[in-house]
Amino acid sequence: MSLSFLEGLKFAKMDTPLHRADPRAKFLMALSFFASSLIFANALALLALLALQIPLLAIGRISRRWLKSLRGGAFLAILIFLMNFLTGQGASFSIAMSIRFVCLLSSFSIFFLTTSPDDLGLALERCRIPYTISFIFTTAVRLVPTMALDAQEIIDAQRSRGLELERGRFLRRVRNYIPILVPLIVCAIRRSLEMAEALESRAFGASERRTSLVTLKMGPWDYILVALSIALLASSIHISRSIQMPSLEALDRIFGLGWRIA
Amino acid sequence: MPTDDVIDPGAIAMPQIEAKGFSFTYSGSSNPSIRDLDLEIERGEFVLLTGPSGCGKTTLCRCLNGLIPNFFAGHWEGEFRVCGIDIAKAKTYELAKLVGHVFQNPENQLFSLSVEREIALGPENLGLPRDEIRERVEWAMEIVGISDLRGLAPYELSGGQQQKVAIASVLAMRPEILVLDEPTSFLDPKSAKAILETIARLNEELDMTVILVEHRLDLAARLVDRVLVMNEGELALDGGPREIFGKAAHLMGVGLPKVTLLFQMLREDGLDVGIPIMVEEASAILRELLN
Repeated sequence: MSLSFLEGLKFAKMDTPLHRADPRAKFLMALSFFASSLIFANALALLALLALQIPLLAIGRISRRWLKSLRGGAFLAILIFLMNFLTGQGASFSIAMSIRFVCLLSSFSIFFLTTSPDDLGLALERCRIPYTISFIFTTAVRLVPTMALDAQEIIDAQRSRGLELERGRFLRRVRNYIPILVPLIVCAIRRSLEMAEALESRAFGASERRTSLVTLKMGPWDYILVALSIALLASSIHISRSIQMPSLEALDRIFGLGWRIA
Repeated sequence: MPTDDVIDPGAIAMPQIEAKGFSFTYSGSSNPSIRDLDLEIERGEFVLLTGPSGCGKTTLCRCLNGLIPNFFAGHWEGEFRVCGIDIAKAKTYELAKLVGHVFQNPENQLFSLSVEREIALGPENLGLPRDEIRERVEWAMEIVGISDLRGLAPYELSGGQQQKVAIASVLAMRPEILVLDEPTSFLDPKSAKAILETIARLNEELDMTVILVEHRLDLAARLVDRVLVMNEGELALDGGPREIFGKAAHLMGVGLPKVTLLFQMLREDGLDVGIPIMVEEASAILRELLN
């Protein structure tokens, strides 16, 4: 098993306009893409939404890692297609649902790839979420790649002792992962205890009114981003209500024919 | 340093760290990890704490900043005072201001994605004004010599640099005592040397009390004023480095400096020319002998 799909969530420090943008503005943008993808159930409209995100990849220079995260979601996208198609939903609708999933994944992938957990924490604090909770959240985000590394190490160690992960039927395969999971959980607990010790030593929770060295400020570009996000959502709502999108019913007929022949 | 505001005549004579008949047993364990400890450490001392694994070194370090008995539950007896504060009555964050604690694994003690923000974390938690935080961050980076790394993320740094960031981030709380629990065990020999030299400089320039847990005695022996050797929860040996390394400390699983070991062997074989603790001393002795 490869854990490379987690790469898609891992923030890497870069200096692009998208990385510099205010996390609140970026979150609004992600939400706006998210909501828009839920509004449409039409494959072409969803493809257009996905296409709208491509300039962002270029601005943030994250296309490669974005692709990686999508590749990680490919299995689920196919599963979604099959589940819909086999339960008689029709090919065009099933494809639309798969694209919708990719769209949802992509919107948050862009957010996490360009927002440092530190900025995320600042944004949460600004939204009056208690520091303890925002700290838990940002630490979780930060620990994903570390845990992935731990898991890979444990997999390598167990394999070198003769553990065969790919062996047997489905249930057997699931059971094969127990020798991976147990040490992984122990590792995580040990790590969190050590981190808690270090935090205690840094006076965590000493003062109710915590100050922070860096503060967030919305610049002109951030307001433009906010305006664009609102415009996107508004036009999505408008289009879905007033304009009849061309559908891919032809696909349904072709698939239906193929189905009958088979 | 913050404590000089009010001078308590009783406090001047008092040692900075003082344990009297202190024992501690972790809950769930039947044997005490520290047994009947009597210890006094004065301000400005550079103390090396060593001994075999499981001898109670880490437990002692945890007492110093109040992680015991606040964070780790267990049963304790006797008394343990740090800067006059009873650790059983203090909150961990009160002691965190007085005692900076640097841990073994740099990865698990760095939480931010830039060196600057990392160093600011402690003062931020204390709720200090922003200007003062900035000032302290600059000072801490300066004194450890990492000002050029300010914008980098900890994962972009080498292990030695990460450990320097960890030291700077506790220094920013302006502690009086610096406790380092095996700070070099994840580092290569060169970075380990650099870290130990940084620590020695802090001890000298800031008159900061340093408690260093370390197995690399070759590097540490020359720097410290005093050596404590623990064994099975007890303080087995306490004295100057020459005195301690001349004794049979190696029998308890303490890795003596190699030159010390060599001259001890020579003494057993009948050649008693003193016991050096540094390579330079040893070479001087040998040169004299050969001439």
